[in-house]
Amino acid sequence: MTGIQLWFAEFCDLFHQSFIREDRYKLLISGVGVTVKVSLLAVFIGILIGMLVAMCNLSKRKLIRAIGGIYTDVIRGTPSVTQLMVIYFVIFATVDLDKWIIAAIAFGVNSGAYVSEIIRGGILSVDHGQTEAGRSLGLNAFQTMTRIVIPQAVKNIFPALCNEFIVLIKETAIVGYVGLMDIQKAGDFIKSATYKAPMPLFGTAVIYYVLIKILTLTLRQVENHLRKSDAR
Amino acid sequence: MIKVKNLHKKFGDLMVLNGIDEHISQGEVVVIIGPSGSGKSTFLRCLNLLEDVTEGEIYVDDELINTPKVNINVVRQKMGMVFQQFNLFPHLTIMDNITLAPVLLKKMTKEEAVKKGQELLERVNLAEKADAYPAQLSGGQKQRVAIARALAMNPEIMLFDEPTSALDPEMVGEVLDVMKDLARSGMTMVIVTHEMGFAREVASRVLFIDQGVVMESGTPQEVFTDPKNERTKLFLSKVL
Repeated sequence: MTGIQLWFAEFCDLFHQSFIREDRYKLLISGVGVTVKVSLLAVFIGILIGMLVAMCNLSKRKLIRAIGGIYTDVIRGTPSVTQLMVIYFVIFATVDLDKWIIAAIAFGVNSGAYVSEIIRGGILSVDHGQTEAGRSLGLNAFQTMTRIVIPQAVKNIFPALCNEFIVLIKETAIVGYVGLMDIQKAGDFIKSATYKAPMPLFGTAVIYYVLIKILTLTLRQVENHLRKSDAR
Repeated sequence: MIKVKNLHKKFGDLMVLNGIDEHISQGEVVVIIGPSGSGKSTFLRCLNLLEDVTEGEIYVDDELINTPKVNINVVRQKMGMVFQQFNLFPHLTIMDNITLAPVLLKKMTKEEAVKKGQELLERVNLAEKADAYPAQLSGGQKQRVAIARALAMNPEIMLFDEPTSALDPEMVGEVLDVMKDLARSGMTMVIVTHEMGFAREVASRVLFIDQGVVMESGTPQEVFTDPKNERTKLFLSKVL
């Protein structure tokens, strides 16, 4: 046998060991499910918290601004693994909720701090004249915000928000710390079971890459749609 | 229609308006002139409380408006405003720019608002632009849409804050024509502008504001050809 044939035979053997034997691919597939559902719920929670905190940070009242400020400060100043473990082992220690939901809450709380800054920046990026025009027509502050400022802010912040979602998906690779079997943990598990590192680790990387590629392409479509009023 | 008593406005420690008393009656076209930094735009923006007032009283239709008891949003529905930078809503079509406020504030149904919008666009000669977005329009066209948008609320008073200052020279005329047409229709207008020819032609009264006070007030004839105040004379000698 030539060198290439030898190498190929070994590759097939490793592949078989890592993914086929004992149905190990099923671990990875269920890992994808865990990663996707934790990420989706976390994004949703992150946007809700982000909007709320952005409103706090833009408030005229000092106390409300201070609350938003402390939240952002604490979240940005501590590692997400620590936050995840504090939320899982301390705050929700006695609460009977599915593991993945608690994890999603932890990532949502984390993401909210970053999303709030993105949203705040987006709202401030809309020319103040837009607010004045809305108010001069008799719209109240809330109507002006929801009908005039936010639709324009969304367009401005969309790329930054997409970036935050992508970071969030990859961030969930630490859920193994609280005993969830996501993509990363599944790969890790296979590595330990087979004593062979490269195949499961590259497999993990490829799965994350494909997931994020699909998301990126979808979001780009949405962005093009949002930009239609820019036509000249 | 609008009464202003002892109006003061401070930005920090800077006194911008230093006691203005003024009475604007229905059907008047009041043109405000003055050097930059004189407070003329601030005065206009105080009239619909886009700037909050430091001291003094503003009455619209005999109702005191600078008090927390008044819903300012309702008062503003009576006062259209046109800005130097147009401030059209870039995410909405021209028609949606015009119909947004009347529909949202339940002044009209969507159908009525579109019909009114169509009439207004014809009035400013932009009927064919209803479905365009603001980015597709020239400056002069944008400002004419902005005027139509303000008129869609059927205001009693129109405020213009340097409406032609951001325009290329060849587009100034088309905007001024729309404003002249509006003045002839009997609309009460307060206009801050540097267009002296327009002021002379259209104004029923000219106010010269400098250093935060009204230095001179009178018909265009009185102010332009026979100014009493030394500062007015100095200003006019520079701009005419």
